[in-house]
Amino acid sequence: MSQLQARFFTDNKKYVIDDVPFSIPAVSEITDLSNVINKLLEGKNGDHKHVEFDFLVQGQFLRSSLATHLETENISTEEVVEIEYVEKYTAPQPEECIMHDDWISSVEADSEWILTGSYDKTARIWSLEGKAVATVAGHTDVVKGVAWVKRDGLSSLLLTASLDQTVLLWEWSSERNKLRARHCCRGHAGSVDTISVDPTRSKFCSGSWDKMLKIWSAEMSEESNRPRKKQKTEQLGPTRTPLMTLSGHTEAVSSVLWMDTEELCSASWDHTIRLWDAETGSQKNMLTGSKVFNCISYSPLCHRLATGSTDRHVRLWDPRSKDGSLVLLSLTSHTGWVTAVRWSPSHEQQLISGSLDNLVKLWDTRSCKAPLYDLAAHEDKVLCADWTDCGLILSGGADNKLYTYRYSACLSDAGA
Amino acid sequence: CCGLLAALSLHITFSLSLSLSLSLSLSLSLSLSLSLAFCSQDIRNTVGNIPMEWYKDYPHIGYDLDGKKIFKPIRNKDELDEFLDKMENPDYWRTIHDKMTGTDVCLSDEQVDLVHRLQQGKFGDVNFNEYEPAIDFFSNEVMIHPVTNRPADKRSFIPSLIEKEKVGKLVHAIKMGWIKPRRPKETAPQYYDLWAKEDPNAILGRHKMHIPAPKMRLPGHEESYNPPPEYLLTDEERQVWEQQDPDERKLSFLPQKYLSLRAVPAFSRFIQERFERCLDLYLCPRQRKMRVNVNPEDLIPKLPRPRDLQPFPTLQSLVYHGHSSLIRSISISPSGQWLVSGSDDCTVRFWEVCTTRCLKTMEVGGPVKSVAWNPAPSISLVAVSYGENVILVNPGLGDRLICSATDQLISSYEEPEEVKDQQVQWAVPEGKAQEQGQRLILTHPKAVKQVSWHGRGDYLACVMPDDGSSLQVVIHQVSRRRTQNPFHRNKGAVQCVSFHPSRPYFLVATQRYVRVYNLIKQELTKKLMANCKWISSMAVHPGGDNVICGSYDCRLAWFDLDLSTKPYKVLRHHKKALRGVAYHKHYPLFASGSDDGTVIVCHGMVYNDLLQNPLIVPVKVLKGHIITHDLGVLDVAFHPTQPWVFSSGADGTVRLFT
Repeated sequence: MSQLQARFFTDNKKYVIDDVPFSIPAVSEITDLSNVINKLLEGKNGDHKHVEFDFLVQGQFLRSSLATHLETENISTEEVVEIEYVEKYTAPQPEECIMHDDWISSVEADSEWILTGSYDKTARIWSLEGKAVATVAGHTDVVKGVAWVKRDGLSSLLLTASLDQTVLLWEWSSERNKLRARHCCRGHAGSVDTISVDPTRSKFCSGSWDKMLKIWSAEMSEESNRPRKKQKTEQLGPTRTPLMTLSGHTEAVSSVLWMDTEELCSASWDHTIRLWDAETGSQKNMLTGSKVFNCISYSPLCHRLATGSTDRHVRLWDPRSKDGSLVLLSLTSHTGWVTAVRWSPSHEQQLISGSLDNLVKLWDTRSCKAPLYDLAAHEDKVLCADWTDCGLILSGGADNKLYTYRYSACLSDAGA
Repeated sequence: CCGLLAALSLHITFSLSLSLSLSLSLSLSLSLSLSLAFCSQDIRNTVGNIPMEWYKDYPHIGYDLDGKKIFKPIRNKDELDEFLDKMENPDYWRTIHDKMTGTDVCLSDEQVDLVHRLQQGKFGDVNFNEYEPAIDFFSNEVMIHPVTNRPADKRSFIPSLIEKEKVGKLVHAIKMGWIKPRRPKETAPQYYDLWAKEDPNAILGRHKMHIPAPKMRLPGHEESYNPPPEYLLTDEERQVWEQQDPDERKLSFLPQKYLSLRAVPAFSRFIQERFERCLDLYLCPRQRKMRVNVNPEDLIPKLPRPRDLQPFPTLQSLVYHGHSSLIRSISISPSGQWLVSGSDDCTVRFWEVCTTRCLKTMEVGGPVKSVAWNPAPSISLVAVSYGENVILVNPGLGDRLICSATDQLISSYEEPEEVKDQQVQWAVPEGKAQEQGQRLILTHPKAVKQVSWHGRGDYLACVMPDDGSSLQVVIHQVSRRRTQNPFHRNKGAVQCVSFHPSRPYFLVATQRYVRVYNLIKQELTKKLMANCKWISSMAVHPGGDNVICGSYDCRLAWFDLDLSTKPYKVLRHHKKALRGVAYHKHYPLFASGSDDGTVIVCHGMVYNDLLQNPLIVPVKVLKGHIITHDLGVLDVAFHPTQPWVFSSGADGTVRLFT
């Protein structure tokens, strides 16, 4: 089998070629195929510039030679092989390395600011360029989770969750760079490891080591009726109690997120993912795994859950499946526990994962054996990762560094 | 004739060489027709057969037929005459003394001959033929003439009346059934075929034990009269062959080459060879080996595959770096979030399990021998032993309420009215130590090797190994700050102690035995014999019926307390001394850490059914620790909720296997 028949097609109108089968050598790899396409395009219009392509055979990325790929995927070589080609995803471009004083436990960024929680009991606000803006100090123990609530002009609301069993709601005005703790959310009986703000930005949910999920209001309360004296004594703001407590997990809750305004999803050390109705507080569905879940992420684009466990795999789940414990796909390339996963906010097939093997990996679900890119910048365990809407990938870890990468799926997109 | 007989019956004394007095019996009488005519005149004595001494004093010797006295002849011979007569008289040997007449009689030749014949047991008459042909008158041959001429009796042809009467009686008795006629004899065959019923085709037949004689080896090239030259021995080989013992020789003969078959001489060893062959067949013990056809695989007990016994730790996941010296002891908080380790670098470190973050480091005044997290979830206390001290530390991790409640519990202690003199000093640390979390310091008289909490969290047992001392184990009650010495006498050096998880038992491991004491009845309940030389560590199954003991001689003994005082199973998987053993609280797992740097995880399923023995399957050898100073893994501990095992090693690291 030296030659095989292949037909190339693409969705991108810019790079359409004639729909005719070609006979190509079976040993050809991505670069060979890419050259073929480029030659064809050059023949079609003269001012074509060289573009690197990636190739998919039946929805799977081609990562080895065509012959071996077809053999491993059990695709017949007798017929014409349909090969889709897409513009090659460019590597994420490293931008900043932000030094911290201690391990970074959590990170969340929006379009302007980066919020990181650290083991030095503080959370920090950074600009996207890596400039330290503010330090959120108020917790008496390690900050384990951070979240932006909303931005209202120049003032923002943010949340920090800590090992000291509290979640603090802060108000930060970026203009004057003033920080005020507005509320202290008490109620958990264990370290609060994860927080998540609902899509309406009015509530948030926290998950704790005490096996509970608690839903709190993120609204600012009226301040006028409070005596001035009490304001002073309560440095961290008035205590807030949870609106609702969701109990059901038998072990610590490691990660929580809102799937939409009514639905909550939580992953736990008891090897389960539970879906909750945020209105009634009842458990709707449960997915059972075999390992402790460290992190979870949901993509509204493809309606899939991605989880990182205390093993080497990133697993994808369908939250709507009723039979409970069906893994759609396992992405296997890490060698340590996966501590962070995050779906791409813009691309339905891409996600990043951070692991204790010091690597952040960029995955495409169409290639489950090998990631698209390894981001090997960290010198110690990666503990958290984030992916903003504006295409910024952030990862922080036990080497006290927060790395940011600029990533756009395609060069042409970036140019656009 | 009668007179003659009487004369013959005299006692004749022969003085000849026979020198015996021959008494002639009367049996001669039959045909003694010869006349004893050795006397010319008939002077027959009539006294009869009497002892002739009776006539000793008389001049006569008897009476003759006429009644006249017979006088004794005049005897004038003295001894000398007698001797001369004996020497000179040629007839002396045939001269006999007749006592009846008192005369000397010289026997004639015929008489001497007669005496000789009688002596030889022959008939006296020479002419008597004792072997005359016998005529058989009463033979079976019927002769024409009867032997007797007597006519036949009448009764010989008339039926007998007596017999008729007897037969009639018998017939009557048979008719009446008084006697029964003789039964005909059963004619059973005396001999039968022993093998008649045997199936000739059966395997276990008559010849099942038949072993054919081993066949003789066929002759090879070396036996040939004209062997190829390589089979002929060289001179050196020949010398070696000759020096060898006949039993050791590879060949029993020397191969020889002949020009032609005609030149081959007679086989000189034929008799010897035949004899040896017969000897072989006769002496060789030939017996059939009953070969049992067993597949060796079947002999191995059926154990489930380790893959089916998931979950168990398989991979090293996390390494907790920070200690600078070997870590003797680790303990996990009951929630599973924190880990405490005590090291020889005089520090105690508190770690976050899931991130390997060291949250706290506490310096103490000596190498830490043992740490133990209080198993009660409502108390936040860690017991740390170093040197002679045991400190109780509130790490301040986990639920704040529980931490403050624990502090309150300890500070709420009130001194009792009467202060008893205790062997252990209880002190409250101050200053920096208090800030670090130390809440109580217990100073013991001796170095404390191990601390162990009771499941409720109020009692704490401390071990101070000291062979033969009465104070080796003390039990502290934290809430009342009391110390008691449960044993007035200890046999052997105590290695480790443990409280039973559910019943009021207390397990004390000495070098060779584990003693189980009932704390309520205050008596020895059981004594387990560990079958090993030196117990190093011990763990009690959370169900309470099983105990494992690690020993310095590489063994791990599993005891079933209900089964026996001997180990139910002894595992020898480690190559070096075991240092720590542990059970998992929920999963059927146990682990052992050894000086060879490995942790071996075994599946140890205990069934509720008392009839079913525990199932023990080694599932994984976990490697990772670097052997430092010949020490490998020093302690193992399981995560309370996950199937994860922690191990601390001499390389200053704690490792987590998941």
